[in-house]
Amino acid sequence: MGNEYTGPLERINDFSWRIPRSYKPGMRVDGIIYADDVLMNTIKQDKSLEQVANVACLPGIVKYSLAMPDIHWGYGFCIGGVAATDPEQGGVISPGGVGYDINCGVRLIRTNLTLKDIDPHRSRLVDRMFEIVPCGVGRTGKIKFKGGELKRLMEQGSPYVVKRGFGWDSDIEATEAGGALPDARPDYVSKRAYERGAGQCGTLGSGNHFMEVQVVDQVDDPKAAEAMGLAKGNIAVMIHSGSRGLGYQVCDDALKDLRDTPRKYGIELPDKQLVCAPVRSPEGERYFGAMRAAANFAWCNRQIMTHLARQVFEEVFARSAEQLGMALIYDVAHNIAKTETHQIDGKALELCVHRKGATRAFPPGHPELPPRYRAIGQPVLVPGDMGRFSYVLVGQPPAMELTFGSCCHGAGRLMSRGAAIRASKGRSIRKELLERGVIARARGRTGLDEEQPEAYKDVLEVVNAVHNSGISKRVARLKPIVVIKG
Amino acid sequence: MSGSFELFDHTADVGIRVSADTSAELVRAAGEGLYAVIGELETTGDPQAVRLEFSADERAILLRDYLAELLVLFECEQRIAADVEVTVFDEKCLGVIGQMAVVDKARSVFFGEVKAITYHELAVRRTENGYEATFIVDV
Repeated sequence: MGNEYTGPLERINDFSWRIPRSYKPGMRVDGIIYADDVLMNTIKQDKSLEQVANVACLPGIVKYSLAMPDIHWGYGFCIGGVAATDPEQGGVISPGGVGYDINCGVRLIRTNLTLKDIDPHRSRLVDRMFEIVPCGVGRTGKIKFKGGELKRLMEQGSPYVVKRGFGWDSDIEATEAGGALPDARPDYVSKRAYERGAGQCGTLGSGNHFMEVQVVDQVDDPKAAEAMGLAKGNIAVMIHSGSRGLGYQVCDDALKDLRDTPRKYGIELPDKQLVCAPVRSPEGERYFGAMRAAANFAWCNRQIMTHLARQVFEEVFARSAEQLGMALIYDVAHNIAKTETHQIDGKALELCVHRKGATRAFPPGHPELPPRYRAIGQPVLVPGDMGRFSYVLVGQPPAMELTFGSCCHGAGRLMSRGAAIRASKGRSIRKELLERGVIARARGRTGLDEEQPEAYKDVLEVVNAVHNSGISKRVARLKPIVVIKG
Repeated sequence: MSGSFELFDHTADVGIRVSADTSAELVRAAGEGLYAVIGELETTGDPQAVRLEFSADERAILLRDYLAELLVLFECEQRIAADVEVTVFDEKCLGVIGQMAVVDKARSVFFGEVKAITYHELAVRRTENGYEATFIVDV
């Protein structure tokens, strides 16, 4: 109550809406939200639209403050928010536009296996995954990196851990930005952050992070699916995790360091949580450098878990990961700020693109895509919930014009964690999942209750909104069959 | 003197509302609230005294910084504050001597990780009966 958005909201078409810049003083651009009528009715219930308008006040913001259909109330920025700023025009970088879990993201690994191959081994598979992949509070991995190694890992990203034997060369090409942002500055990462991250590279964490074995349940675009090595009935592995304690601490440190920065640079903000600094300022460069280091850590984290997943499959199916065809399809970040080139009024500009709960979705032909995806567009991975479906999409040309090449990142929560726990009273979520054909294990006592399928919106509604708006195109639907959570 | 906390719903995260007769009790209860989100934590061995000091321009920020430090000590050293003595808590400064004890993982029940203490809806207020604070943790 009291959080409902009452400001102006103009319909652009069936799948997008505008908050005009005249709504509040300080807005430099319009807010644009991608959602259909049904989603918008839910979106209006919290303060996320107000946050879209607030982000429009950031210095140097270009074109519009955007929100994807899985938008919900966040800290400063809404979740599902996208904002690009022009450093040449005093554009800022804001830790709130990235979030605490820097480079939280998703990756998908294909296999040659089918449901028939998996069925006799499902229990063993979930047990071994649960033993081998560290997850939950305080769980550290067997793979440890010392201070100097951690520094190199943050400088070099995925190629560093692949070189150390935790993956295949082809994994690097199948990772956004090759799993390594340039100009990462591990020397800007605090001692505290190093300490938090020391034993956590290769660990899942808790909350909504997961490793799932999924089956391709439906193919919408056979050509694109084939390019990714996906076919109906195939088994795949999806991993959702981020930069763990190291990234959380980088964000926390930055929010503290930047407390007085807006005042120093004369930046007026409608919400203190939008704390920021010009990209071209010592403070901005310090955060950007540390954030890039944390992003590289996150890619290494998911890379090592890929290695662990391959080990589990090799053990359970007594065949090598190569024989099982366990190639990485793609890895996408959905909490990140990056320097990207975009065409603005006919000019190529280097912008600082914030994606907070939003996924990059570059279209066919984009030079940053690996050759095998140039014809189809970048794979976009959109996890749903552990009882229903996740989706694979591909970026489409309108995304570059409309959303700085961005798309949705997930289903979005419908229930708070507390409400989900209360709704689980007298039920066994584990048994209910089993009845749906999903074997699930979680370390935390309330993990499965909090993450029950009913706690999330139907991801199809979100996916359809981006599909119908032309930002991305549906390729395949995957159904979870084995889930591990922290 | 007494302090208490309750958890409240926030879309994807968890809110903690703390009330206490004194500002010192508020600090103590806020720490207990944070630990309650992580799990039912048991300790082992003798606690060691650790002096923690924070400076800022408002009490809410001081409390947040203190809780953020407790989180780091839990995650990096697996230690929690078994007891705290608040030496000062005004608008500019918070001083605490924490009796930090090692978490007994075997006897503890874990719920989930806390990523950070956010600034979202962060507040410390004086009330007729003492003090109240709210903060939201990212989980």
